Amino acid sequence: MQFSDDPRDIGWVRTNVPCQNACPAGTNVPAYIRSIAEGLHGQAYEINRESNVLPSVLGRICSRPCESACRHGWPGNGEPVGICSLKRSAADLKDSGHRITERLFAPTGKRIAVVGAGPAGIAAAHDLSLLGHDVVIFEKEEKPGGMLRYGIPEFRLPRPLLDIELHNALRLGVQLRTGTPVGVGKGAVRVSTLLADFDAVLLGTGCMAPSRLDLRGIPPGQDPSRVSQDVEYGLHFLMDLHRGQNKRVGRRVAVVGAGFTALDCARVARRLGGMEVTIHLRTSEEYIPVTHEELFETKREGIRIKGLRTPVGLQLDDNGRLLGVEFVQNRLGGWRDNGRRLAVPIEGSEFIETCDTLIIAIGQVTVNDFLDMRVELDRWGNVRIAENGMTSVSGLFAAGDFVHGASTAIQAIGHARKIADKIDTWLVGRKRRQVVQMEPVAAPLRDHAFDFIQRQAMPTTPLPERQLTREVECGLTRDLASEEAKRCYLCDLRYQINVDRCIYCRACIEVAPRNCIKLISDVEIQKDGSYGQLLETKEWSRVAAIWIDNNECIRCGACFKVCPVACISITRNKLITVDV
Amino acid sequence: MTAHHASPSVPPHRYVIIGNGVAGNQAAEGLRSRDPEGLVTIITNNRLLFYNRYLLPLLFRSHKDWRELQSHSADYYQKHRIRVIRDVRVTAVDAGRRQVMLAHKEPITYDTLLVATGGRSYLPEELADSRHLLNSFGTYEQAMAVKKALPDRGTVVMLGGDMIGLDLARTLLSIDCRVVLVTHETTFWPHQVTPEVRMEFLNVLRDMGMDVIDGDAAGGVTAIEPGTAGLPARRVVFRQGGDVYGDVVMPFYGLVPSVEFMMGSGTDIERGILVGTNLRTNDNHIFAAGDVCQIWSEQEHAYRFYYGYQNVRAMGAVAASNMTGGNEHFAITQNGSLRRDGHGHIDSSFWAYD
Ligand SMILES: Cc1cc2nc3c(=O)[nH]c(=O)nc-3n(C[C@H](O)[C@H](O)[C@H](O)COP(=O)(O)OP(=O)(O)OC[C@H]3O[C@@H](n4cnc5c(N)ncnc54)[C@H](O)[C@@H]3O)c2cc1C
Ligand SMILES: Cc1cc2nc3c(=O)[nH]c(=O)nc-3n(C[C@H](O)[C@H](O)[C@H](O)COP(=O)(O)OP(=O)(O)OC[C@H]3O[C@@H](n4cnc5c(N)ncnc54)[C@H](O)[C@@H]3O)c2cc1C
Ligand code: SF4
Ligand code: SF4
Ligand code: SF4
Repeated sequence: MQFSDDPRDIGWVRTNVPCQNACPAGTNVPAYIRSIAEGLHGQAYEINRESNVLPSVLGRICSRPCESACRHGWPGNGEPVGICSLKRSAADLKDSGHRITERLFAPTGKRIAVVGAGPAGIAAAHDLSLLGHDVVIFEKEEKPGGMLRYGIPEFRLPRPLLDIELHNALRLGVQLRTGTPVGVGKGAVRVSTLLADFDAVLLGTGCMAPSRLDLRGIPPGQDPSRVSQDVEYGLHFLMDLHRGQNKRVGRRVAVVGAGFTALDCARVARRLGGMEVTIHLRTSEEYIPVTHEELFETKREGIRIKGLRTPVGLQLDDNGRLLGVEFVQNRLGGWRDNGRRLAVPIEGSEFIETCDTLIIAIGQVTVNDFLDMRVELDRWGNVRIAENGMTSVSGLFAAGDFVHGASTAIQAIGHARKIADKIDTWLVGRKRRQVVQMEPVAAPLRDHAFDFIQRQAMPTTPLPERQLTREVECGLTRDLASEEAKRCYLCDLRYQINVDRCIYCRACIEVAPRNCIKLISDVEIQKDGSYGQLLETKEWSRVAAIWIDNNECIRCGACFKVCPVACISITRNKLITVDV
Repeated sequence: MTAHHASPSVPPHRYVIIGNGVAGNQAAEGLRSRDPEGLVTIITNNRLLFYNRYLLPLLFRSHKDWRELQSHSADYYQKHRIRVIRDVRVTAVDAGRRQVMLAHKEPITYDTLLVATGGRSYLPEELADSRHLLNSFGTYEQAMAVKKALPDRGTVVMLGGDMIGLDLARTLLSIDCRVVLVTHETTFWPHQVTPEVRMEFLNVLRDMGMDVIDGDAAGGVTAIEPGTAGLPARRVVFRQGGDVYGDVVMPFYGLVPSVEFMMGSGTDIERGILVGTNLRTNDNHIFAAGDVCQIWSEQEHAYRFYYGYQNVRAMGAVAASNMTGGNEHFAITQNGSLRRDGHGHIDSSFWAYD
């Protein structure tokens, strides 16, 4: 085993393990998939838990940025590996008596208050408690979980599973005070009090308010549910439902919005008896930021999706009951700063869609009115944090959606872990850095035949049985998980040719399934010291080396097996964090 | 006017057409005549050369070899130097590199691309699990499979009943098969009918001998099951209870544009590929024509689909012209309303072709 802090080696892992690089929490995907392929689900669960304390939860609801980046999904390679369902299978299929392993540090005597028990607050509290700090979480709701509990419907995330993982995350001495709002109102704990009582305070209060939709005839800023009982913001609709209220919808339900919340509202509305449930999009299906599977299941439940329209007004009867929604037709415009597509309304193209209930789910924003001090904000109204994770107030840190605006659970967790490290550095001066651990591998770990295995479909609950709390996705069986795991190229394996021993017989080039082995004259070195582009050459006189282009390589092992002088080596590369 | 003149120093322009249907073939013909030196390639996932799908119902009257349905012979393509790559699916378009990626991972480079992949029959997602028990009717092979599965005077359960299905239905009735229609909002698609017209023509179908089940009243179809011994091969189960048996169950819920492979190419898509009346997409090198495109309508302030042989053919011609430097605009040539023929039977402008 070797360790390296050479930027070329660190850069190699960053660019060559695209799933891990795309995961905001930096999950070591190939390592856990390899464990699943070996049938070691408990080990796979622990590898996940190193970066993300809620693997069973994320294995169900993650937005899967890793799958969008997966090498198996690159043009010509087929469909991405089912990274998320494999994560879930590690959690589902581990032994019932599985024991969690954790590395604990000695107590530091430092006290930290975390505000908000959403994924950000929970992940930070967990890490900080491992690091030896005394952590207390203040949560205004009756139960922890944030939007995992009060936003996401149970048919996507069963609550008993959420409870177990939250419990395990906090079991090392984190104190959880639920039903305890932090703010300026009566009975609330002030932020300034927390700052006085604790060594550091972390705000993880998420995005607690719906983005407002201006509709003709409704005074700007006014909640449209005040105007008609048939109109409601989706965030309130779901949070009320998950706090235990009875919710009702009409026969024809219009949902406007394009994210998780909109789809969840539509699927809940359908389960509450909505017969014609339609999601109205400003742009088109191609740009909805949810997974294909979720979109498919939504449609399968009979929900329709209509694009290129923006709601502009309500049609109400004399008693304020909803008759329909007025939309304007859009065309697709350019791109917004956040990478989303713009919709441009077309003048004079208004039309009415009749409906009995309107649910508005066009986004969520942060709320700052609970702060009893001035904290610097950015131009979107989110708190600004410095490089060390701190807000403009000394000792006051922030993480998750409260900093970035509405994002995803894994982004909140990934961010919170980084901020937890920074709080630790600020409090006790511990510093860390990343190095690459390189372990030799004796032989290729895959068969070429694995490249032809199709992505395994997630088994789901039959339509007639889909009730409000019945989980829709059933999880991969042991066999399906094992097949899916074989598909992973194991991108952490690095194939290298020892140029000094190579006899340039080109046998490897001949067996290579793609243009992965190249004759090059030079390699570019990037600003950060990592390898850049390969400069290929066809002229023998200019060949400086024979080089494996790990970007093209699908780790099939063919070159390794054919090389007559055994000059091709394989190493497994793992990014690890070490204390400085 | 021909925009791309051949000269020894200019390599021939590479036109690639995805889709070997009415639009694609009309465009190929236009491209060939407007740019005699251009390289014209049609890529299709069909095994057979372009044939007239509107004639598929006739297979049930008399046996036809597929060649009898063929629109152009292999010689035609050879003579016009139109290369047809058959039996391959396009899986992606890389607009940056101007390459079309085939399923077996071969890239085909284009200078100008026409997407003319039409539509495939829509299956409501809730029936996805029953797909293997349903018979589609999009190709010659699928039509022959229905013919094989259907006993003499057998029963076909038609779900939805768009105009493609109703065309087949009238043929089936004429050969004494039983047709059970389970209505859906897509019945009579692509005609948009008022409730009164819908009622009127459902009665016309009944008069023609069809059994009509009100799909809405039955709560919609929840599942298709294999029939039990002694009963027909398929059972259609309704949400509100009740069922109907048939030898073959066929979905006719209209078409959805075949655009999956264009996702991520940067080309604007809503349901179909979005184009202006000049059939240009938002990418200068990509055009779209036929059932796959949604054309901006200035009058209606909306993107809409225009079905029907004559419309689709006109689009192929406009695309060919504009791909070679022309500036033509598609204008609707065929507008459909339901009508009755001399026998009082249902008739439609969508059934007209020449
Ligand atoms: C309906 C819905 C569906 C979603 N689906 C998905 C999905 O499928 N996949 C995905 O990745 N993401 C999804 N998201 C987004 C995801 O849930 C969030 O990005 C994530 O929960 C953010 O985590 P957080 O900890 O920053 O904030 P939150 O989860 O919002 O948690 C904030 C916590 O702070 C508490 N709090 C707020 N103010 C105070 C206060 N003043 N005092 C005390 N406590 C306070 C709140 O009660 C809450 O518990 C969804 C969001 C919604 C709304
Ligand atoms: C059985 C049948 C009967 C019909 N009858 C009528 C009728 O009577 N009246 C009427 O108006 N309309 C009818 N239609 C609809 C009619 O097909 C269309 O309106 C018209 O033919 C569309 O032409 P097109 O060129 O746009 O597409 P199509 O004719 O559908 O051709 C599309 C082509 O693209 C190919 N293709 C699709 N995806 C890919 C891919 N990824 N890679 C490679 N190739 C691909 C297909 O194989 C096909 O060759 C009928 C359709 C069917 C299936
Ligand atoms: S193939 Fe495996 S290791 Fe490579 S990107 Fe995909 S999931 Fe990650
Ligand atoms: S393992 Fe060798 S032959 Fe296989 S893809 Fe990688 S470089 Fe090419
Ligand atoms: S097979 Fe081995 S010796 Fe031959 S060219 Fe490849 S690396 Fe060099």
